[in-house]
Amino acid sequence: MFTAAIFDIQRNSYADGPGIRTTVFFKGCNLRCAWCHNPESQSPEPQLMFYKNKCTGCGKCKEKCPYALESCTLCGKCTLYCPHDAREICGKEYTVDQLLREVLKDKTFYETSGGGVTFSGGECMLQIDFLEEILKVCKENGIHTAVDTAGHVPYEYFERILPYTDLFLYDVKCYDRDKHRQYTGVGNQLIFENLKRLLAAGKSVWVRIPIIPTVNDTAEEIQKIKELLDLYGTPEKIELLPYHAMGEDKYMAINREACIFSVPSAQTMENLNQIL
Amino acid sequence: MTERIKKLTELTLSGQMYAEPTQTVFDQADLLLPKQQMESKRICEYILNQEPKLTEYSCLTGFFNFDGSVVGDAFRRGGHKATQEAINRFYLKPVDNLSTMEWQHATADYAKILNKGISGIIGDIDESFKIHDDAEQVEFLLALKRVANALIAWAHKCSERALKLSSTVENAEHKSNLKKLSEALLRVPENAPGNFYEAVLCIYLCFSADPDSVGTLDRYLYPFYKKDMEKGTLTKNQAAEYLQELFLMLQAATKVTSAYFTRGGESHFCIGGYLPNGEDGFTELSRLIVESMLELPTYIPQVTLRWTKKTPREVFRFMLDRERKDPHKRIAFQNDEKRIKCYTEICHIPFEKAVGYTTVGCNEPAFLGAIIGSNSKINFLRSIETVFHKKAGLIENAQTYDAFFDVFKKELFDDLMLAYQYDDFYNKQRAQDVNYISSLVFNDCIENAKSLTQGGGNTVVASPMCLGITNVIDSLCVVKQFVFDEGLFTMKELISALHANWHGYEDMRTLILKKGKFFGNDDDTSNYVAQRLYAEMYDFLKDKTNLYGYHWLIGDLLGYNVHHKWFGEHTKATPDGRYSGNMLKFGLGQSEGRDREGLSALLNSIAKVDPNGIGCGSTVTNITLDEQLVKNDDNFEKTVDLFLTYFQNGGVHFQLTYVSKDDLVAAKCTPDEYKHLRVRVTGFSDYFVKLNQAIQDDIIARTEQT
Repeated sequence: MFTAAIFDIQRNSYADGPGIRTTVFFKGCNLRCAWCHNPESQSPEPQLMFYKNKCTGCGKCKEKCPYALESCTLCGKCTLYCPHDAREICGKEYTVDQLLREVLKDKTFYETSGGGVTFSGGECMLQIDFLEEILKVCKENGIHTAVDTAGHVPYEYFERILPYTDLFLYDVKCYDRDKHRQYTGVGNQLIFENLKRLLAAGKSVWVRIPIIPTVNDTAEEIQKIKELLDLYGTPEKIELLPYHAMGEDKYMAINREACIFSVPSAQTMENLNQIL
Repeated sequence: MTERIKKLTELTLSGQMYAEPTQTVFDQADLLLPKQQMESKRICEYILNQEPKLTEYSCLTGFFNFDGSVVGDAFRRGGHKATQEAINRFYLKPVDNLSTMEWQHATADYAKILNKGISGIIGDIDESFKIHDDAEQVEFLLALKRVANALIAWAHKCSERALKLSSTVENAEHKSNLKKLSEALLRVPENAPGNFYEAVLCIYLCFSADPDSVGTLDRYLYPFYKKDMEKGTLTKNQAAEYLQELFLMLQAATKVTSAYFTRGGESHFCIGGYLPNGEDGFTELSRLIVESMLELPTYIPQVTLRWTKKTPREVFRFMLDRERKDPHKRIAFQNDEKRIKCYTEICHIPFEKAVGYTTVGCNEPAFLGAIIGSNSKINFLRSIETVFHKKAGLIENAQTYDAFFDVFKKELFDDLMLAYQYDDFYNKQRAQDVNYISSLVFNDCIENAKSLTQGGGNTVVASPMCLGITNVIDSLCVVKQFVFDEGLFTMKELISALHANWHGYEDMRTLILKKGKFFGNDDDTSNYVAQRLYAEMYDFLKDKTNLYGYHWLIGDLLGYNVHHKWFGEHTKATPDGRYSGNMLKFGLGQSEGRDREGLSALLNSIAKVDPNGIGCGSTVTNITLDEQLVKNDDNFEKTVDLFLTYFQNGGVHFQLTYVSKDDLVAAKCTPDEYKHLRVRVTGFSDYFVKLNQAIQDDIIARTEQT
């Protein structure tokens, strides 16, 4: 039986595709985007998150922990008894049936609004066996499916899910190859190649570009991405998503330092949108 | 908005359109007359001693207020001595921490008035004489006839005053309006109106007989609107003006110095909904009513859209769009599918009559020409308190949830029966007064020769408001999940924790609050518990009626008063994590962040809870939304679909507030800076800073949905 590590299921999501959707966030990612606002999504393993700013030092966690916080087996007892929500375990294994049950809960909302389910992450394509299976059963249940991916996986993975995926939300970070490697940890050649093949296959694709000041917020950068997309065959939609710093607390919670960028101005977003 | 309406709006909002009562001196020899004769004679004298509120800008007039010196209308209950005595003893005064008397709302049968005029109603009285020979009933009918004739005479007096004023007015249009008014008042409401203008004038004047709700306004006015539009004798703009003048009167009916002046619940009506022929009733006139009403910067009235499966999405969207743009929060939403099912199947009201319901007050159901049969408030959580604090011995060894539930169920139903006995008692107190003027305009009082509050009317439901339903569901969830399903603590430990008001059991309480499967999360445990509770209540109540034979339903709204606080103060700690003395929740929904799965989960839980519809009494669901969900047009379309699905799934009601929790907290601390912050409260809307602290806290505790 397949299982997948999921770190969040967000019902009533308006942001990840058409209509009202349930967005399922898979844990584990093969990119390390410097601006990532879900740093807890990167490791495929469950992990303990500790929000220092919420902790009052009451000591309840230590009292309940079988190892007095000296070591951690991710049993979660400290999270159950922390009165201030300062501790939480991120990541839970789901079977296909369990996940389908969650997805089906809002089926009537999808039907009225033209919505459905979006598999996101992390990088959901890394758990391709599970993803293929859950997409298949979603389609069997008449649910519109979307896959949100950064595209840095073998194209065979796409081929496996093409029959069951109605829409791809495809992240394009940077045209400049060096910058892409510098800020995400991987090159962009495979990503662009996969996008090209996906569009050639005639699939519905929404390209989403995060706008990160000092990285890709120039007209030249967006222009080049636009030209490339014109060559590949126009996607249904191109969305520019302004950077936000809402992930800062989460970096602290997993004991990592956040890389902070400035938030692009409304004017910058308007100018860049003009190019599209 | 026309200049004329602008002027009337200014006068209304500054309190100058209030119909100040004229004091009337009565002949003391009246006291020797039989009671009904004396009381009705004085009402007539009082009415004819009033002066109509007329200005140079008036196209309508004839509304008057009672001052308590005679038996007035059945809504405000001025001069109702027995009711006053009952109010002194039981209104805002909880009995046994279980029940307290509340006000009753109603809506006159404007369709009947427009159909036959007061002369036709007098004809009905004459017919009723033929079938009643009991002396008291005959006296009652004679009294009604006396008052009906006084209303006709009052219209004639208003006519005379309008004519007189017209002679002093220079503006030709205004002069012409007043002359037209004077002529019309000689015809209506004595006779059935012949056109849209006269129909609105009838409602305006007859609102004095029960100054509460104008009911299904778009329905009974539509034939007049349609006929005049087709004939070309009325324009849309003229119709809007007459409607606006009517709405301004509804606002002006409350004194500007009263706290109720800014509270929408004082006059609440419906548009749309099923027609007797099974079609959806939203028309061009319904749209005009909403547009013209929202153009006015007033607080009263408030309007509810009755949605049906046949309502076009565009209409639902139109209403939500107007709702998001209305700073005074005057629009709410009601699901006919659920309500009509309840009224036909549980209350055995024929479909043709059931579709005539409207919402009055905060959100009480009343049929056109009828009163809401009961309105008392019940402490629903007392049954949980009794089980855990007084009869713990009966549950401490329960081996299964079912065994525990049986003990609880007995307490709950015992409480409900006791509360319903109290409710009947309040009604009996009220029944000692005779409602002469209101009984004229309500269904069947004439035919039954019986006063409105004595059970004279038919097609009535009885819906006391049960406060704390969500507390009860959550308490049951905690027992099921932690004691029986997961075994994380025993019943004895839970009982000990509650007896200690959680002191020394803080860990247990933390665990409950963090991991509790509470109502609103659309999970198997809370859905099962909630649905079973409603199913049991349905089985228990479906064939039960109050002393007048009106079917009992369950309601859950609060009203203006802080009953949830009083009941809470005297209710000990409960398993949902509530401390002794904390207030109860009202309405069917969730708060304090216990609904963790988002808005669709909350709406699913609510929509699924009561498939039979026993909860279709006075019910509200208040949702606080992040403004971004409606400000951005893309998001707004999704929000329209969200609430549409909620109704399709079986939700009964919703109304919205858009404000952040931070704003509410700030408003509480620095009210001067948030004077204009308007919120949905229970079934009405009001300025947040004017609310008392208990209601402010309740609104702050609602979960903000993103």
